[in-house]
Amino acid sequence: MGFQQFMAKNNLNENLKKLEEISQWFDNSKEVDVEQGLEKVKEAVVLIKESKERLQKIENEFEEIKKEIDAE
Amino acid sequence: MLSQETNKIYSISEFVSFLNIGLKSSKAKIVGEVGEAKSGPTGHIYFTLKDEKDGSMLNCIIWSSKYRLYGITLEPGKKIMAFGNPEIYAPSGRLSFIADSIELAGEGDLKKQYDELKSKLEKEGIFSSENKRPLPKYPHKIGVITSKQGAVIHDFLNNIGKFGFDIKMIDSRVEGQEAVADLLSAIKTFRKKDIDVLVIIRGGGSMESLMCFNNELLVREIAGFPCPVIAGIGHDKDVPLSAMAADIMVSTPTAAANLINESWNQALLLLERVERKILASYGIIFEKFNFIENKFKISLQNFKNNIVNLKIGLNKQPESFFIRFSLLCDKFKTFLVNSEKIIELNSPERNLKLGYIIADINGRILKSVKNIKIGDIVNLKLTDGQIKSEIKSINENN
Repeated sequence: MGFQQFMAKNNLNENLKKLEEISQWFDNSKEVDVEQGLEKVKEAVVLIKESKERLQKIENEFEEIKKEIDAE
Repeated sequence: MLSQETNKIYSISEFVSFLNIGLKSSKAKIVGEVGEAKSGPTGHIYFTLKDEKDGSMLNCIIWSSKYRLYGITLEPGKKIMAFGNPEIYAPSGRLSFIADSIELAGEGDLKKQYDELKSKLEKEGIFSSENKRPLPKYPHKIGVITSKQGAVIHDFLNNIGKFGFDIKMIDSRVEGQEAVADLLSAIKTFRKKDIDVLVIIRGGGSMESLMCFNNELLVREIAGFPCPVIAGIGHDKDVPLSAMAADIMVSTPTAAANLINESWNQALLLLERVERKILASYGIIFEKFNFIENKFKISLQNFKNNIVNLKIGLNKQPESFFIRFSLLCDKFKTFLVNSEKIIELNSPERNLKLGYIIADINGRILKSVKNIKIGDIVNLKLTDGQIKSEIKSINENN
């Protein structure tokens, strides 16, 4: 999968946005909804895992490009 | 030659011819005063030249084509110098001097002739500055009229720049009246050639030696030449009229060469300036590129930093959510405990223990005396059992 395809499918920014929303839910929630809280934690764990993978991929691609630039 | 053939008997005709062959090689310059002069039916001028001192006389002829060339009117008393050779005219047996060229020889006559012609041509506007044409920019095909003898042509060629000029030269005498015919012929030849500029050059000299350049026909040819003419013919006191008629007059052959070089030299300077400008512009481009390259490298580093920060952030995130969820669970537990307490505090069982009774009639909890009648059976619930009781009286609070 090419970088652009990867980015189209796995938008890191979207994931970060969702994590931010979950974080805000915890900060602002007045209701004590443990079950929903558990769902949110589960969702956050998946998002974090995905984001780490994407970030690693981005970092790898970046290092490749940087090598090309430095070699010129 | 004659002595070798003393036994030979010539006819008159043969002998005259024989003499004429010898006389033809007796070229000479003679000076004298014009005695009488008359024009023949074909325009040839028959005149006599008289020695000033002893009155010796010589018959002379100048053919009309030559006479027209020199612009001198032969009149009695005029002192002239003629160049030519003697010849015997067979039909009359008369010896005449055939003048190829004539020029004025009297003191002040040259100057007078010069002034008169100058004045005449001036009136015609031949020397007018309005008629002067500038040199074409970047002249390429150059016509040169000069003598191939002497240093003049070398001076010119040594000083003309290496700009790929196409130089055509016509050799011509440039001194004395005999030069007029050469100069006119050279100019006529160049008229038919494709040239950008015509250069007529010679070294300096006395007025006498430059008199050929004061020839009226030559002056007119130069003034009417189809492309600009540069004259570098030098002068003593009076500027030759040919130089005045030329579009540009310079003092030396070197100056003529420099003039032709000028626009090319300027073009070279312009090219050098443009080259410097282009190189300077390139310098700026390279500087800008370096600046942008450095900026880009910093941006790359920043991007790398962002990735690292994001990574650190993401690594910390699960822990953060677990803590938050744990806090949420604690909060929930506290809520449950509090709720339990509240419920417990408000439990009817607890009140029964305190001595309160729950009364109902047919399952309807009694909260008011209304809708109760005397005789109704009331169920009373206590902490450890139930009792039934009958309503005896009803007292409503005021």
